[in-house]
Amino acid sequence: MADYLSITDAERAEMMKLLGITKISELYSDLPRELRRKKFALSDGRSQQETYAALAELAAKNATYRSIFRGAGSYHHYIPSAVKSIVSREEFLTSYTPYQPEISQGLLQATFEFQTMMCELTGMDVATASHYSGATAAAEACVMCADRSRPVVTFDNIDPDTLETLGTYLKARGIELKVLHAGDGSAQYPSGTGAGAVYFESPNYYGILEDVNGLTSAAKAEGAKVIVGCNPLSLALFKSPGECGADVAVGDAQPFGMPMSFGGPYLGYMAARKEFIRKLPGRIVGETTDADGRRAFVLTLQTREQHIRREKATSNICSNQAHCALTAAVYLSLTGPQGLKEVATKCASNAHYLARELSHAGAKLFYEGEFFHEFVTVTPGKASKITAALERKDILGGLPLDKHRILWCCTEMNGKADMDEVVKTVKEAL
Amino acid sequence: MKTVFEKSVKGRRGVQPSALDVERYDYESYRLREELVLPELSEPEVAAHYTALSKRTFGVDDGFYPLGSCTMKYNPKLHEEIAALPGFANAHPLARADKVQGCLAVIDTLSAYLAGITGMDGVTLQPCAGAHGEYTALLMVRAYHRSRGDEKRTKVLIPDSAHGTNPASAVMAGFEVVTLRSAPDGSVDLDDLKAKAGEDTAALMLTNPSTLGLFEKNVLEIAGIVHGAGALMYYDGANLNAIMGVVRPGDMGFDLVHLNLHKTFSAPHGGGGPGSGPVCCKAELTPFLPDPQIVRTEKGFRFGRGDWSVGRVSAFYGNFGVYVKALAYIVALGGKGLREAAETAVLNANYLREKISYFYPVGDRRCMHEFVLSMRRLRDETGVTAADVAKGLIDRGIHPPTMYFPLIVEDALMFEPTETASKEMLDAAADALKEIIALAYSDPDALRSAPHTTPVRRPDEAAAARNPVVKG
Repeated sequence: MADYLSITDAERAEMMKLLGITKISELYSDLPRELRRKKFALSDGRSQQETYAALAELAAKNATYRSIFRGAGSYHHYIPSAVKSIVSREEFLTSYTPYQPEISQGLLQATFEFQTMMCELTGMDVATASHYSGATAAAEACVMCADRSRPVVTFDNIDPDTLETLGTYLKARGIELKVLHAGDGSAQYPSGTGAGAVYFESPNYYGILEDVNGLTSAAKAEGAKVIVGCNPLSLALFKSPGECGADVAVGDAQPFGMPMSFGGPYLGYMAARKEFIRKLPGRIVGETTDADGRRAFVLTLQTREQHIRREKATSNICSNQAHCALTAAVYLSLTGPQGLKEVATKCASNAHYLARELSHAGAKLFYEGEFFHEFVTVTPGKASKITAALERKDILGGLPLDKHRILWCCTEMNGKADMDEVVKTVKEAL
Repeated sequence: MKTVFEKSVKGRRGVQPSALDVERYDYESYRLREELVLPELSEPEVAAHYTALSKRTFGVDDGFYPLGSCTMKYNPKLHEEIAALPGFANAHPLARADKVQGCLAVIDTLSAYLAGITGMDGVTLQPCAGAHGEYTALLMVRAYHRSRGDEKRTKVLIPDSAHGTNPASAVMAGFEVVTLRSAPDGSVDLDDLKAKAGEDTAALMLTNPSTLGLFEKNVLEIAGIVHGAGALMYYDGANLNAIMGVVRPGDMGFDLVHLNLHKTFSAPHGGGGPGSGPVCCKAELTPFLPDPQIVRTEKGFRFGRGDWSVGRVSAFYGNFGVYVKALAYIVALGGKGLREAAETAVLNANYLREKISYFYPVGDRRCMHEFVLSMRRLRDETGVTAADVAKGLIDRGIHPPTMYFPLIVEDALMFEPTETASKEMLDAAADALKEIIALAYSDPDALRSAPHTTPVRRPDEAAAARNPVVKG
């Protein structure tokens, strides 16, 4: 059995002697007698070697693929070894939220640098230290921007998990959520929705790039706050939400160095215009000076937070996804602007190549709109047949949306040979 | 130290992606951004930058870390290796269920263990942190009452000693907060509870052991009062480390609990996250658990949805990578090891308390896994504050305890040594504290100006908040 304890039996006896007890159970004398009497089964432990073997056996029950064409919120990107090595340093991995700035300057500075990077990518003035996921970042941003008397408006082409999470969070606060139908895959903002806040995604769930400028100005013309959800990798190429006039940008930065890991931990991010700085949910790191005039970093604007404001806090966030934010910062430092653009360009080029070739093979694009690295094909009645044929070749195909449509994703991990094999397999399955 | 942006040199490259082997796709120019400013560094420079930052950060392996309420125990290296196994790390959350049976087995097995440890029936692992678990559980409380046509239960009772997340979560879940007064020993004031529990009460949120590190002796009576009023008992699992394998919240009368896998079950805190805040509940609350749920069938595991579910609270299934680590911990320790860990945590806390309790203890009872000292008298006699003492500990290689919490104790310092601390660490901490207290009387300025061994000293937090600089 593994135990990770440092106290020997002799030390235990010595410590108990100091306390004047002979049995550990005496330390539990405050527990009501009927609770202490209650018996329940306790299993034996295992050695580290046995534990590894038991868990590795479970890991081996999952299929592994030689290539992956599925995204839909979880993306298979190359993670440089330097990212994994740097973030595994125990100081980063095991420390707590940096409440003691003198011995947390490294973590605080790394978070400050992460915030700076997210501000740059999104074109915003302030970014938070992290949120649980893109879904909760979107939900908390909508709660922040909403007023109770007016609905939050969104579209049925956003990520379905995000849509459900929005529904949960808004319902709890008594805020109405209106979901508009995006007919041809792209959102159109009709006048007169009465929205207090509008949330849309670009690229949206189907990979399509929305008219961020047009949607933003239409919503703002009617007095709504605008929140845009973005895969931050796409922002290496495209105009930022900030540049397009949006109030808040949110999303999931999992593509920046985090493995798919069956859906988490990922990295919700939120960035906003400066007028929101005292309303934002979650931790924020700020720069200041120390008693000797040196630059220093601290958790700041804590009067928004639960440990100070309790029921008046802007959010209940305590633990966030700090280590994931560090991971993203290291990833972006390693790629730099040029590398990030190259990754995004490769994703987009692969996706456009695969879309064109699939279309030639008979799997036509379902939507016409310009896309980033995901797209939807339609093959009447054949979706699961296609993905099953790919599974047999150890390829994780796109995500079947229904019997007819498949949502595909390409990243820089896919080479031409992989894509040609997908096309060949699809052709055979049709 | 320069920021990563200040170290940037135009044209320098780190990791480069492999070249395109299809035709490059170019978007129409109106879509494109003009400029992207990110650091430009070589890989060696990036490694050096972050290594330097890591050396300015204090982790669990760097020394004693008795941060109260945070359970800073050792994080086994084994768990990192297991979570990184390709079978887990490369599992796509939307792969067909029959292709990810190993992941579903992790979720199912861990859920069963947690139900056993807490004495509950149903479990969701989806919440990503403790506060997220509180929020999820409170949504379930609301859905439960509503399902019985009981719409008037709009209030949640929360002791004044509770973590700030409790009231913040209650408001996010649509409740009003009613604060309960604590008795002087930090336990629930039963008269106040009786006066406030009524037909508008949805639940009581209770941390047990309390934030003073004391077991709530009257917990069964409290449960009787709360249930008698038709409300539910909610257990904040922040302090489960004291009692896991010893007693179960389910046996104390609680209906729902949230746990912190990143505290109690040894997943690393990561500088503030990712955590994981599973919710466990009694059978009558399982219909309200978030979607999706794992369903065990003859053909293996699959996902299911509930008609009465509160809905989804995050993307996919929560922080899966954290579950793997917690499961490895429970498998390795077993029920006996968990119990031994709890007992050792309580022993370590009592030992340290005994060695320093001549100095301003709060209460005279034995503690559970943590205890609180009040620096009020020290402040009155020397002008040295709890924060000054904390900074003095930093100079002696010790991470400070939690300061100024719980709010019901003036000038509080809250120590939680955890079971993985060695006796030498406890002895050294007692000596350090003794030395600091003596110094407070002989040379208070030495403490008021501490720490003296760190790269910065007493950053001006007020200035940071007054004039926020939040990006470089």
